[in-house]
Amino acid sequence: MAPPPPATAVGDAMTPLPVPRDSRANIDIMAVTKGFHWPWFIALVLVLIGVAQAGLTLAYQTYWGFGVAGYQAPVFWGLYIVTFVFWIGIGHAGTLISAILFLFRAKWRNAVNRGAEALTVFAVLTAVLFPVLHLGRLWKLYYLLPYPNQRGLWVNFKSPLLWDVFAINTYMLISIVFFYIGLIPDIAMARDRATGVKKVVYTVLALGWQGTGVQWKAHSRAVLHLSGLATPLVLSVHSVVSWDFAMSVVPGWHATIFAPYFVAGAVFGGFAMVIVVLIPVRRIFKLERYLTDYHFENMSRFILLTSTICGYAYAMEYFIAWYSGVEAEQTSFWLRLFGPYWFSTWCMITFNVFFPQLLWIKRLRTNLPFLFVLCFFINLGMWFERYVIIITSLSREFITGAWGLYIVSPVELSILVGSFCWFSMWFLLFLKAFPVIAISEVKELIIHEKEHGGAH
Amino acid sequence: MPTLVSIFDLPSDVANSVRKLKARGFDDLTTYSPAPFPEIEEAENPKPSGVRLWTLIGGLLGVTTGFAFQIWASLEWPIKIGGKAYTAIPPFWIIGFELTILFGGFATLFGLLAVGKLRPRKLDPHYSRRFSAEEFGVVVNCEGRDVAEIEALLREHSAKEVNVVDS
Repeated sequence: MAPPPPATAVGDAMTPLPVPRDSRANIDIMAVTKGFHWPWFIALVLVLIGVAQAGLTLAYQTYWGFGVAGYQAPVFWGLYIVTFVFWIGIGHAGTLISAILFLFRAKWRNAVNRGAEALTVFAVLTAVLFPVLHLGRLWKLYYLLPYPNQRGLWVNFKSPLLWDVFAINTYMLISIVFFYIGLIPDIAMARDRATGVKKVVYTVLALGWQGTGVQWKAHSRAVLHLSGLATPLVLSVHSVVSWDFAMSVVPGWHATIFAPYFVAGAVFGGFAMVIVVLIPVRRIFKLERYLTDYHFENMSRFILLTSTICGYAYAMEYFIAWYSGVEAEQTSFWLRLFGPYWFSTWCMITFNVFFPQLLWIKRLRTNLPFLFVLCFFINLGMWFERYVIIITSLSREFITGAWGLYIVSPVELSILVGSFCWFSMWFLLFLKAFPVIAISEVKELIIHEKEHGGAH
Repeated sequence: MPTLVSIFDLPSDVANSVRKLKARGFDDLTTYSPAPFPEIEEAENPKPSGVRLWTLIGGLLGVTTGFAFQIWASLEWPIKIGGKAYTAIPPFWIIGFELTILFGGFATLFGLLAVGKLRPRKLDPHYSRRFSAEEFGVVVNCEGRDVAEIEALLREHSAKEVNVVDS
């Protein structure tokens, strides 16, 4: 063996290590945060206008009272609760990808998990606005929480609405913690390459991360434990949301199938939203090398699976309604299909059950324009699903004399549009602040490939 | 005391050299990597991470708090609801479960901060941005007389650079 080349002499040093070429993954993915992208800027301006108009509407509603939102007997849970459930559902794919697929060691998740986690956080941040908007008197928000007071009153711990307060807030906080922990190594990488104000911000947020063996070990453990905690949490959150309905006796709601039905629907809608968002991101920011057709195909498979579960749940709801022999239940379901809200019901069934069956065809699973359009319709279908569940049931309860017709008000529509803009605003800002793909996790794959002789 | 800063390309080389260094008694070393590699973490410190204890304590604290608080508050303002006992345990499982996750999750975060010594601070003098690219670092503090042996060992395990610096 040839003798080793001499080392730099002791004491000669403090020579800084030469600055090498950077990792291509760092350059490509951080390019999203740098420079000016017209599509991004135009989208940001539009969503800011959308948020502003919703803010004005909220001020109007707060000043004049909740009546301007058009709520009247018998439907007091209108578009706000429909949209609340929709956004909570959207927030499920991120945790499924980050936590459950992590526990299953599905390595393909590495490229999509950051974007999906971000969508989860922003969807939950959007969802939590709706129970507050629905209060009408926003300043009474603290009534929802158990807090010590002179009257000795406490909240009702046996109510599913209170369970929801705990479930949603826990989900929001744990999603943020999970998201941040995953971001730390990438923020440190960004810190090493940033200058000026950005460097200061990244330095604070990176918490002195250097990627030492001790730090990585603690990080891996923390991610593993959080995945273990988040997995039952994500399953519980939409179950608890479903119990807001299923614990009542309203026809169409009082069903034991609701928890798994809601969870499957949430994962279904969540994956569809991830695809709708990531396809343009991939195209505009040229991330084809990292977000490949393979990733979209795998997500399509999840969509196909969960669509089938949803289809089964829909069928079971109708079967049980018929089989129960309860007239109110049977009438409620009959009116869903052929009553005044038939359009929503058929949209729901067509978009959520029939359209996704096209994904049995492999060529379509990797056809991104098709996937984008399909997933857009799935999102629409999932919103209609919540509309059908809530509105049709409340407007057609037991006594025919108490039936009523619910019509969406302009105030509600304005807030609905605002919620999409609010969600998009956070995501657009995130794109320019942090890496949209988990760079350290992608590097794990690249280095493994390098080690085993493959190109990357 | 001199410090050797070595650069590697592959995690298996890092893990092997760390194992060899430790076997030779050179324990005062730190590895730097751009991504998580369990083989390096195990070679550097085979003991289980303390984070798990934080998670366990947080989770236990959460479930205890959840049940204790609900039971206490329900007795503080007793109202019969749905014919259930004041301290009906089954409905209390929901919030008990949520608080288990909440406390366990935050305890895990704090465990990561404590065990990984994460806080805004000055970085190690030998840390390089190469370690957040695609290269690995092994930094060994040693006596002057051991420099040649350690350097030979590092190069034997495919270190592509070895720099000796005074600390």
